Amino acid sequence: MNRVSLKIVGSSGQGLDSMGDIVAKALKRSGYCVFGYREYPSLIKGGHASFQLDASNQKIESTETKVNVVIAFNHHVLEKNIPDLKPGGILIHSTPNWKFPTADQKLIDRLSLSIVYLPVEEILTKLGAKPVLTNVLLTAFVWAMLGQNIDTLKKMVGERFAKKKDLLDLNMRCIDEGSRLQKEHKLSVAMPKPKKEWEKCLMIPGSKAMGLGTVHAGVRVYAGYPMTPSSPLLSYIADIQNRTGMVIKQAEDEITAAQFVSGAMLMGTRALTGTSGGGFDLMSETVSLNAIIENPTVFVLAQRPGPATGLPTWTGQGDLLMAIGTSHGEFARCVMSVSNAEDSFYLVNDAFNIAEKYQISVILMTDKQTMEALYTEKPYDLTKIVIDRGSLVTDPAKLKKLKSTDRYDPNAKDGISPRWLPGAKAATYVAQGDEHNAEGSVDESADNAVQQMNKRMRKQDALKTALPEPELYRVESGKLKVESADWSPDVLLIGWGSTKSVVLDVLKSSGLTTQNSKLSIGYLHFTYLWPLKTEKFEKLTKTAKKTILIEGNFQGQLGVLLRQETGIKIHDRILKYDGRPFFYDELLNLISKHLS
Amino acid sequence: MPIKLDANGPVMKDFHSENRCTWCDGCGNYGIWTGVKSALTELGIAPDQCLLCFDVGCHGNGSDKLKGYRFHGLHGRVLPFAAGAKLANPKLPVIAFGGDGASFSEGIGHLVHAVRSHYPITFVLHNNGNYGLTTGQSSSLTPQGQIMNTAPNSMPEMTLNSMDFIFSLEPTFVARAFSGDIKQVTSVLKEAIRHRGFAFVDILQACPTYNKFATHTMLLEKYYKVEDENHDTSDFKKARALAIDTSQRIATGILYRNENVPNFYERLVPRQGKTTTPVEEVEKFDVTELMRDFL
Repeated sequence: MNRVSLKIVGSSGQGLDSMGDIVAKALKRSGYCVFGYREYPSLIKGGHASFQLDASNQKIESTETKVNVVIAFNHHVLEKNIPDLKPGGILIHSTPNWKFPTADQKLIDRLSLSIVYLPVEEILTKLGAKPVLTNVLLTAFVWAMLGQNIDTLKKMVGERFAKKKDLLDLNMRCIDEGSRLQKEHKLSVAMPKPKKEWEKCLMIPGSKAMGLGTVHAGVRVYAGYPMTPSSPLLSYIADIQNRTGMVIKQAEDEITAAQFVSGAMLMGTRALTGTSGGGFDLMSETVSLNAIIENPTVFVLAQRPGPATGLPTWTGQGDLLMAIGTSHGEFARCVMSVSNAEDSFYLVNDAFNIAEKYQISVILMTDKQTMEALYTEKPYDLTKIVIDRGSLVTDPAKLKKLKSTDRYDPNAKDGISPRWLPGAKAATYVAQGDEHNAEGSVDESADNAVQQMNKRMRKQDALKTALPEPELYRVESGKLKVESADWSPDVLLIGWGSTKSVVLDVLKSSGLTTQNSKLSIGYLHFTYLWPLKTEKFEKLTKTAKKTILIEGNFQGQLGVLLRQETGIKIHDRILKYDGRPFFYDELLNLISKHLS
Repeated sequence: MPIKLDANGPVMKDFHSENRCTWCDGCGNYGIWTGVKSALTELGIAPDQCLLCFDVGCHGNGSDKLKGYRFHGLHGRVLPFAAGAKLANPKLPVIAFGGDGASFSEGIGHLVHAVRSHYPITFVLHNNGNYGLTTGQSSSLTPQGQIMNTAPNSMPEMTLNSMDFIFSLEPTFVARAFSGDIKQVTSVLKEAIRHRGFAFVDILQACPTYNKFATHTMLLEKYYKVEDENHDTSDFKKARALAIDTSQRIATGILYRNENVPNFYERLVPRQGKTTTPVEEVEKFDVTELMRDFL
């Protein structure tokens, strides 16, 4: 795959994000698939932050450790980021009279790097522009360097400043000047040939895709408490509230958010909350409550590395076992995970359908990587989802026939009893947090306790039967396809969540296939993590010469689960727990090592 | 004065449950339980036309001793649950019940924000001055000096002046009633349910087993009705003073009321002009326009 990467580096608050957003979208409009990756520390201003864009004319959903271009917003970048460049790479900066230490200069010479100094401050003063326009000037320079049409960039910036005429003119002059400067410097980066198919795609972070999916799924109430990396979901849904008409509540804590949406769900709307590990810990007692009152609920769990505050603005997959084991008592639940923005859109409705059909809590997992990375994706198919509210009774004639004891009828098929809403003209019941009988009255008798536990746990069995097996991916002559379990690869890679994107990019890479041309490689991806379907895994791992587990955590948590359910231990493991996602070249090397 | 009921409306019997009450003899919950049923009946609210949300404690054991759509949740957490339910369907009256243990210890944060948020719900405080169900530990409202379970030397903490605390949050409806006066409980609850926003109703109740300091007899002797003394319920300062000082007499009835403050739901800009409720709006939402932002 022919890929080009640029990394914008500076302090938080210097406008890296707006530059990254503009370049990403403009590249997409010019026919490229772009993947954006942000790194930043947990502070408002300062620190060392970056926004990297990897672009190709083919599907790309991963980041490389080495880039073609570094754009420096301050002099710290000159001290730290020289090693990030590929041979022949370009560094653009605006620090006057900078002299590299000998070691760095040696590296620059060895890698034949081009160091470009742009007197940004001087140019902006001449144009009468404020320092905030640094990013526009640099964007235009880079844009021209990539050989792209300057009008595309002007149109994009024009859309942003449509309402601020005076600012718009200044922006345009900065663009012209940046473009002119590039011609002086004569530096360029060869881009692959653009493809039309990307132009009409969305350029979207996972958090906003999830927000769109939430709105599309008929969710009318959202409550949340700010916590990275779930905050962008709360912010987005709050930002668009006047266009959606939703009820938004920024709660006083995560317990409140969980209780608030549980109340809203009991009343009969669709309500969502999202949080990260620490917040989810606080919500866990409510998950248990919803289990006994059989109240359908969906919780978004956006992971970052713990324990405690851990690495607040970084990524990881360390909360899988916590989600599956959350809260006291034994009860049915569903744990599933998105893997990219597209999943984030479609799986929200899936989560609600499962929650409502089985009257259980669904924990929809994501991570900082998916929430904040930028994806290039086809516009979502709005005919695809179907809202399924399960055994919800709303028909007046049917409501009339209901008895209180139907609500938690222990003999209901698959343990799924009829559900009807407060306010319905029907017999009433208690959504009872104590062990209760069929109508919700407290009943501590031994027989009843067993009956109700059996009823609730039967839902877990029914759900397990209904859930699909994990998806098996394969790359054949450069094309990605989903295989049936009849195909048995020599090498079986196993993963879940955001790891999928980078694994698939690696699978597509000629690097891996040329090197191991005699081996067929498949990737088994688990979207549904609990209840865990293992038939396909057991079959494939028996015939595979090698099975490799790839996870963003210390214990290999999916591996732990698979062993718990099947007794099969996966010996080859690629585990990462440094707060960073797997990078494309890094994972390519790690898999290759396991194969050689 | 006899109350005229709608001939087609609910009657007390509709709320009757065959489940037998499990409270101690002389428990104040009996009076509140009867008052709740009376208030709903007199307001013409049938069991299937309301949601009653119970916290955990002795009062919560009443969740299956009357009919109605009911919820019995976690200790201390009833308010945010009730608020979420109400905002999902603002057409349905929602009443939350909680004890002084849950509401002024584990769930005090929720209480603060419920008043501040001004959710259009009624909150009934079952105030018996201790943790009854867990066998008589001191709550933050137990007077200092009382020997309680887990506090053989009495509690070292200060007692919280609950009314001073509530008034500090600038509430719009504060009432106090005595569980021994069912008529009063009924009339106060009716007004609370009619209130525009968050209604705080403190019901002083006896706990014959564990509360030896505010007994039924003591409450009976000390309580008086502010409406008998021409109290102006729009006078915030006066109401606060009456509520706080219980040394000689205990002021009961509607202490403060302000119907001019829009409630949480009314303040939501996206909900302006909407006649449907979030419960009625669950359907596929067309996000075509929203998606355009990302092209």
